[in-house]
Amino acid sequence: MKKGTAEMNKLANDMNRRSVLKGMGGMGLAAAGAAFLGMPRGAQAAESLNYMCWEGYNAPSILDPFQAANDATIAIDLITDSAGGFAKLAAGASRDFDLVSSDSPWIQRMGPAGFCRFLDDADFAEQYADFYPQFAAPFGPLQFEGKATGLPTRWGWVGPTVNTKFDTLEAWSSYAPVFDSAYKDKICLLDWGDWPIMPLALYAGVNPYEELDEAALGEVRKVLRAAFKNTRAIVGDLAIAQKGLLDGSFRALIGGGTYCTSSLRLKGHDYIQSIVPEPKDGLKQGIIWMEATGLIDNGRNSAIAADFLKYIVSPEVAKQLAITEATCNLVPNSKAEALFSEEEKKALQMDYMWTAWENSQFHTVAPNIDDMLAIWQEELAAR
Amino acid sequence: MKSQSKTWNDPVLVAAVAPLAIVMLVFFLVPLAMTALLTFQTTQYYRLQWTWDLTIWTEIFSKPHYWTIMLRTVGMALICVVISILIAFPTAYALTTRLKTYSAQIQILIIFAFLTDAVLKTFGWILVLDRQGVANWLLSYLGLGPEAMDILFTPTGTMIGMVYNLAVYPMFTIYLSLARIDRDLVLASYDAGASRIRTFFEVTLPLSRPGLYSGAVLVFVLSLGAFLEPKVLGGGTSPLASELIRQSFETRVNWPLGAALTIVLIVIGALTLALAAAFVFRRTPAARRELA
Repeated sequence: MKKGTAEMNKLANDMNRRSVLKGMGGMGLAAAGAAFLGMPRGAQAAESLNYMCWEGYNAPSILDPFQAANDATIAIDLITDSAGGFAKLAAGASRDFDLVSSDSPWIQRMGPAGFCRFLDDADFAEQYADFYPQFAAPFGPLQFEGKATGLPTRWGWVGPTVNTKFDTLEAWSSYAPVFDSAYKDKICLLDWGDWPIMPLALYAGVNPYEELDEAALGEVRKVLRAAFKNTRAIVGDLAIAQKGLLDGSFRALIGGGTYCTSSLRLKGHDYIQSIVPEPKDGLKQGIIWMEATGLIDNGRNSAIAADFLKYIVSPEVAKQLAITEATCNLVPNSKAEALFSEEEKKALQMDYMWTAWENSQFHTVAPNIDDMLAIWQEELAAR
Repeated sequence: MKSQSKTWNDPVLVAAVAPLAIVMLVFFLVPLAMTALLTFQTTQYYRLQWTWDLTIWTEIFSKPHYWTIMLRTVGMALICVVISILIAFPTAYALTTRLKTYSAQIQILIIFAFLTDAVLKTFGWILVLDRQGVANWLLSYLGLGPEAMDILFTPTGTMIGMVYNLAVYPMFTIYLSLARIDRDLVLASYDAGASRIRTFFEVTLPLSRPGLYSGAVLVFVLSLGAFLEPKVLGGGTSPLASELIRQSFETRVNWPLGAALTIVLIVIGALTLALAAAFVFRRTPAARRELA
């Protein structure tokens, strides 16, 4: 014991600050050198994929089984904005990625832009066979000149999100309350790109998915200006929007729909609902949003990437993709429906989904989206 | 003149300056130049077109809303500077005088608050400023009625967040200036018959100017780029320049426009600082007489 203490003292004396720093420096150099020289760092996978995607697709419960079964590693690049993801690919990142999951209009754009490989529907016949008939091949919203650019992976609808403790659903059978002075400072617009603009344009009698002239853009300007008068906040953060909706400080969320509803419903807040307003002036007022997954044309065109595309739409994986930590969403695979519990089906408002579908436009490429976004900026600045 | 050229021919000096010069060139001037070049391009189908024209600058100078937001940003930044200094100066003064005994402990507490993630702090303010938040609970407890205060999602909410996140910078710069003031100068002022107030305005305040100015500059520059506070506490209804730039880059995928707005913001910020510097460092009549 005594000997040990003496040795410890000697060691402590020897370990002055300089020697410790020297040692740390040496360890750092060794670590850096090892990284550069490619020293063994555990088991190396045979193939690696780079995957640009939204939240949920990166869940370990989805990625891990595929990585283990295919001896592959998947590196994730999460996007928070579909347009931003597209721009990144356009800036040259398409050479580095193998897969992309984004909003369907952007996946549709990626085909003709040369980022995504066109798919032969026959190669995915087995997957299409499992889908609801609404998503059967050839699936128009993902086609460009008769060729598919991706497979649908998640979907939902955009309409007013309402807390039925404060408002009846009947009150929101149209977007009229957004402009009603009784709702002054009680409306929340979701700051998610074009999402709050589209439903308000539809309410103004303008179909934003068609080519718009100056008069139509003028109507969009008027409706945004009117909506801003009652708007309490334009919120980009889902948690803030949900909190306001729960405590009643926001009476409705506009531009979010089921994307900001289902997870709350799954946690027991089943009095929160997203509905689709009644058609107005011959225009359907709801919007169906959809995410899709495409294969990026990066020159390598890995076969494992195509396998992953089949994997991500399979019933078991689709079910996991539907129920994630942050959000809960519908999936196009009909066989996944049997895997949901009753609570999950209720949270996803599955009893209402085809009603919403019938009363909705499909969110596709809007020709005048930049004009509408510019109007949004101008009107917001003028407040 | 001769000695200057000799100095710059000194290889030791050049070797000492070169690393910093290279870092500044590569990581500041080159990206800035690239940003400036980007403003002369256009986008088509969300892809950059190397066109070399003035489309973007024409748009910026023909649309008043860009300038509305820029001026609002500068205004908010200047207000933030004034409030931050008004909070920071008494705090720093107390730390160097009345609270000297507990100065270290208080500084550690301030540093802890400063080092806490800004996202966390800003979101935390929602719980305080919300209609059902802590502040309203307290006001209601004091008999002011329910929801007496409604400043969340307003420019006032933005300002509270900005001041909270930035006031610590002048707090430390002013503290350093005050701590370096020779105590004998203050005592000499008292000996000469000056009151405490006169001593403060004629000795302490002038000698703390370096910390005051550097703190103000830090707050101003950081305020120009404030992003989180207007978005989270301001509710996005009165956007500042950073949000405008983000929207242009990210939502509109119009990189030339985003780059041009960035350049505009940098120029406005630099001009404001230059004007402030000219005002602050203007020669007083006494100094002019002395020079003459």
